[in-house]
Amino acid sequence: MFGPTLKAMLTPALTLAEGTSAYLPIALILIMAISFAAINLVGTTLLGPNRKGERKGMTYESGMAPIGTARKRFNVRFYLIAMTFLLFDVEIIFLYPWAVTFPNLTPRSSEGVIWLTRIAFFMLTTIVMYLYGRRKGVFKFD
Amino acid sequence: MMTLLTNTHGLMHALSGAALAVSDEAGHAAGHASGPVAQTFAAGPMFGLLVVALPLLACILCGLCAMGRVKTKLPAFLTVLCLAGSFLVTLALYLQHHGQPAGTAWIIQGFEWIRLDYRQMVDSVVQSRSFIANFGLYVDSLTCLWMLFVTGLATLIALYASEYMSHDVGQGYNRFFAAFSLFVFSMACLVMADNLVLLYLGWEGVGLCSYLLIGYFYKKPSAVAAAKKAFILNRIGDLGLALGIMLCYVHFGSVEYKVIFEKCAPYMASLAAGQLDQIPLIAQFIPLCLMIGAFGKSAQLPLYVWLPDAMEGPTPVSALIHAATMVTAGVFLIARTYPLFLMSEYALPIVAWVGALTALLAATIGMAQFDIKRIMAYSTVSQLGYMFAGLAVLTSVGGAAHVFTHAFFKAMLFLACGAVMHGFAGQLDLRKLSGVGSMPGWRVVGIAMLVGCLNLAGFPIITAGFWSKDMILGEAFANSQMQAIGWILLLTAGLTAYYTFRVYFRVFVGPKHYEPGDEHHGDDHGHDHGHGHADGHDEGHQTSGKHGFHPHAPGWAINTVLATLAVAAFVIVPLVALNHGGWVKDMVGASSAQFNEKAAYLIAAKGDLHTKFFGFDAHKAMMVVSSIVGLIGIAVAFVLHYQGRTTAATSKADALLPAFGPIAKWAQNKWYVDEFYNAIVRMPLLALAQIFHWFDKLVIDGLVDFFGWTPRGLGGSLRPAQSGEMHTYAVGMAGGLAVMAVVVIVVLM
Amino acid sequence: MMERLAYLWPEIALFIGTCIVMVMGLSHNPAVRRLCSPICGIFIVAAGVLAAYTTPWGESAVSIAGQTLLPNMPIFAKVLISVVGLVLLLLLAGTVDRQEEGLIARGKRAFDPLRTNRAEFYAFYLFSLTGLMLCASADDLIWLFLALELTSLPTYIMVTLSTSANKSREAGVKYFFLGALGASIFLFGFAFIYGGTGTTNLNAIHASFVQNGINGIALAGLVMALVGLGFKIASVPMHFYTADVYEGAAAPVTAMLAFVPKTAGFISILLLCATIGWQYVPGGETALMPAVGVQGVGGTALPEPIRVLLWVIAAMTMTVGNVLAVMQASIKRMLAYSSIAHSGYMLVGVIVGPGNNTFATSGVSAVMFYLLVYGVMNVAPLAVVASLEKPARSDDEPTEPETLDDLRGLWKRRPALAGMMVIGSLALLGFPPLLGFFGKVPLFTAGISAGEVALVIILGLNSAIGAYYYLRLAAMPFLAETPGAVPSESYDLHPRTSRTFAAALSASAAVVLALAGSQLMDISAKAGYVDSRVNGMDRLQPFKPKLTSVEDGGRPANGAGAVVAPAN
Repeated sequence: MFGPTLKAMLTPALTLAEGTSAYLPIALILIMAISFAAINLVGTTLLGPNRKGERKGMTYESGMAPIGTARKRFNVRFYLIAMTFLLFDVEIIFLYPWAVTFPNLTPRSSEGVIWLTRIAFFMLTTIVMYLYGRRKGVFKFD
Repeated sequence: MMTLLTNTHGLMHALSGAALAVSDEAGHAAGHASGPVAQTFAAGPMFGLLVVALPLLACILCGLCAMGRVKTKLPAFLTVLCLAGSFLVTLALYLQHHGQPAGTAWIIQGFEWIRLDYRQMVDSVVQSRSFIANFGLYVDSLTCLWMLFVTGLATLIALYASEYMSHDVGQGYNRFFAAFSLFVFSMACLVMADNLVLLYLGWEGVGLCSYLLIGYFYKKPSAVAAAKKAFILNRIGDLGLALGIMLCYVHFGSVEYKVIFEKCAPYMASLAAGQLDQIPLIAQFIPLCLMIGAFGKSAQLPLYVWLPDAMEGPTPVSALIHAATMVTAGVFLIARTYPLFLMSEYALPIVAWVGALTALLAATIGMAQFDIKRIMAYSTVSQLGYMFAGLAVLTSVGGAAHVFTHAFFKAMLFLACGAVMHGFAGQLDLRKLSGVGSMPGWRVVGIAMLVGCLNLAGFPIITAGFWSKDMILGEAFANSQMQAIGWILLLTAGLTAYYTFRVYFRVFVGPKHYEPGDEHHGDDHGHDHGHGHADGHDEGHQTSGKHGFHPHAPGWAINTVLATLAVAAFVIVPLVALNHGGWVKDMVGASSAQFNEKAAYLIAAKGDLHTKFFGFDAHKAMMVVSSIVGLIGIAVAFVLHYQGRTTAATSKADALLPAFGPIAKWAQNKWYVDEFYNAIVRMPLLALAQIFHWFDKLVIDGLVDFFGWTPRGLGGSLRPAQSGEMHTYAVGMAGGLAVMAVVVIVVLM
Repeated sequence: MMERLAYLWPEIALFIGTCIVMVMGLSHNPAVRRLCSPICGIFIVAAGVLAAYTTPWGESAVSIAGQTLLPNMPIFAKVLISVVGLVLLLLLAGTVDRQEEGLIARGKRAFDPLRTNRAEFYAFYLFSLTGLMLCASADDLIWLFLALELTSLPTYIMVTLSTSANKSREAGVKYFFLGALGASIFLFGFAFIYGGTGTTNLNAIHASFVQNGINGIALAGLVMALVGLGFKIASVPMHFYTADVYEGAAAPVTAMLAFVPKTAGFISILLLCATIGWQYVPGGETALMPAVGVQGVGGTALPEPIRVLLWVIAAMTMTVGNVLAVMQASIKRMLAYSSIAHSGYMLVGVIVGPGNNTFATSGVSAVMFYLLVYGVMNVAPLAVVASLEKPARSDDEPTEPETLDDLRGLWKRRPALAGMMVIGSLALLGFPPLLGFFGKVPLFTAGISAGEVALVIILGLNSAIGAYYYLRLAAMPFLAETPGAVPSESYDLHPRTSRTFAAALSASAAVVLALAGSQLMDISAKAGYVDSRVNGMDRLQPFKPKLTSVEDGGRPANGAGAVVAPAN
């Protein structure tokens, strides 16, 4: 009795699933991940003891006692240096694949010029960024 | 006969040839161009655009003057210069056009203005169609004729106004001349347009300028009311015009004259062959619609009531807009689209009757008025009726000639009245003025008035007005269908002569006497200046209203213009008189307003255009008869108002009034037309308005409230979603995505 | 490979401009710093000129193998972007650092690069425009995604920088996080499309759809991408951020937000829809047209699921936007909701597709035209708001008018500004002789010719609701000032005359462009050209997306049963 209804309800899902069996593992992983998280959450709530108290409410129950507040001001340069590092780091990483591939190009062809122009353009942006950072005072360490 | 014509091709051909031959003869007698002049189209010289551009330039310059708060006469002279330039360009255009073969119509392409391309499926075939209305000029001889007197008179009147409006320098002066130039621009658009939409733009433009200028003294309630009245009555007419234009597009698939005239040609052919049934009904409706527009703009029955009230505007405006040019736009419209009128069986007879009845009605009202400017206004209405009748009795030449001559002498009459008004502190009552023409410094005004009156009264032979009026009368009597029209017009001619000279004998000759008007208290006529504020030459005026008042005679600008016009009124006599219409005949006959086909049809189907007037040739007889009628009118005025003068301000004629009993009173009260309209149109409308008001309040407002409050209510329910909390938004977005996914899934199922 | 550079010259110009501005804005010399905005302007103009002369279109686009689905769109979009970008620049000038520069000029403070935002502000603006132009050049989903993000990321920061009030920071943060969510949705969608078709190239995706139909994965991808892109155009259900962000930003940045992301979004949505293709439907006959004696020429429509999806989004977007706009007292919130509503209007054009490629029937052209119209006229009200400021007490920033009531009495004090406000708001309302009206007309005609009568009715009703609040905005300057207001609280002109100029430019464009509309319509009709190979008009069997496995009982995916031979 519920057969046809069920089939109708499942049709879209079947539609999606049709010819897409390659995605089945992904779906399984998704389902497993979600159910793992859900089961754990539900399980701990149900099974675990539920105690409250000052000690229990501490940031690190068994670790060191935190001092002062977390809402403390940091010197902004810390972020700047971190960000600059990150950016230059990423740029350098970009150069590696280029450098590895470049020798494999057909010698004395226009291909090489194109590749060289591209990386030159990319380096140019790095230089502009350096100029910007310098003007902004990122490299002034006082 | 009709069947013969339709069935036998050869015979039809022969007969229509014969008809054309007859029409030739009739044409000669009626004073129109002999032989059909085919319209040919060619590209015209681009400098023609200057005619339109220069007034616009003047308008912009005046606008800049207003922005710069100029307190000198600069805008007036800018306007005069630009308009004079426009006139000269028109003249050059005319001269160049004159060198072309007759019947040439130039199309000067300005720029692409409106173009809508669309496709339409007709019988399952997609057709590309387009609605094109370019800013282009259509220059044929009719355009030249009209533009010559429009720009010429506008220049002269602008010069006149520079003095006349001098008391307003710095206040409304800039505004006045800006509107004045805008008017000329609009009029130029109207006359020179190469399509009906541009004509409509000009049509609305002149209406707007008329509104602005009638309401120039916007602090005066009567002026504001008059402006509104003019505007609203014109809208009624404009609705007709708009419908006409739409029908034109629906039927001809274009609003361009060129296309319309070309597509008219087959209808004209079938008209000439007498096959009226070949002309579709929808095409016959077009002139009926256009006609309503023409009646509104040219102040014909039943829409004429705005024109007398329009005299609230400054006199130069009355002279230019409400006497010489704008009000002839209706005549122009009919002349321009004459082929459309010809192809309708009923259009022209309706026009004839409306024109004739308007002429008579306005003349009777004019006889009983005391305000000289109003008398002139009614005479304008009356003469416009003549022009319509002229067009309708198949003398487009006569109609156009009357427009042409009337423009000159009526402008002059108004300007002379304006000079009187200017000099006598707004006095216009003919009972309070006498002997003005013989006062020192008023000689030119007196002579100009005399010349104008002679023209209006149709004084034989020497006046242009006589010749143009005679053409209309003669043709009316020559046309077997239009005898009644002829009699009405003849009666009107007599009345016209009487009331014209009534004004002249009362105001300009006789013992010297005057009571100055008092412009500080508005009375019902349009006394329109506030001098005494700025002028230095009427010191005594401010101290007491009447005593110590010295009328100040007109200055050089006014006198020059009046003298020029007076001379021009005689110079144009040969232009209309020689060879049955002379120059005007050539001009009109070579334009879209020639009418051989209709003549052929009438001759073929209904008799001839050569009806005798008591056994005499109608045209020749009419020259004599109308002369006599005119002279009788003048004589009666002479006896009653010159010889019969009892005092400076009264005459025996006043005593005769009671003898006419209620008729005189009715005429004086304008036959209660305004009251009648009030009762049958305004009151029901007001009542309806009340009903609608309640309907509006209860139902529409309810709906609007519904529309206003429903969104508000809906918004109120949606508003909590806009909490400003980011996670709410994020949840909303994710949830929305889910809902959309569901929507798609539902569709798939 | 190099010939693809043909698409990129304007972007390169903008990028060079960005680099220059970014460095110059940090100069110690105030005169050099002041040059930022003119240089921005120069490069935007250069980009516009380059776009007009170098961008391939028509056949040349095909030969270069760029995206050929909307071959004429890039050139139109890029020129449009630079024109509107220039007007927006006039408005944006002077938004940041005014106080700081004032203090430096008076010697009260030394120049500190870390405290100024000028370089970043202009550079980000150019970055955003670069991204926007890249969207127009895109022929690949990855390119498109990167371009969209390049468009949006700078705007998050510009919102934050635009005023020093906390409100702006809050708005910036919200915008950033919600933007990330939106981006993740459409990126997910792009990934699914790739999964479903095996390619990221738009032309290839289209080819795949034509050959194989749309499979479930691709359909899911399309739905997610279209809904996610809704974030850029602020359509339901991605509209939540709009009001808060628009309100939090300074008026010039608000004006930018109403144009830049929206244009990017619509370009992307049109590209995505073009990959599916609009098929020919005999819509016209069922529409109103026979009643007035004009038979329809038929129109085009998207495949049914996508059509319904966009239909629902469009209808809800218009309605929600208008309904909520009615409630607002804040000018910017009101305009934010109205901006949502305008997106809804434009979606109608997306739904009906190119028709027979004439201006009257092409929804794509209508969208192009509307982007232009909206970009131009939306500047006016916000520029008027930006042109006014309440002088600051002590060290605060001068504040802009915020509520509608703040506009009271504007007509008396600043008649010119009030006039621009009136023209601007009437234009947005779509008042007949003004530009907005001409923008809306093709949406109506295209909608009717495709038989989307219900949607057009919703569009009409919404325009009526729109009249309610736009008229309020137009009338506000004429109302008497609030009794309590003291003269000292009235607003002064912003020292940047360029803002008033932008307002005047926008208002006069709303009038002038309406008169010169026919040329613009022609151009837009060309811009919205969709090859018949794409919309399927020349195929006897119109392309139907085959939704695999919906054979039994599944209704045909295109709503039209009959096939009408193309009219030629």
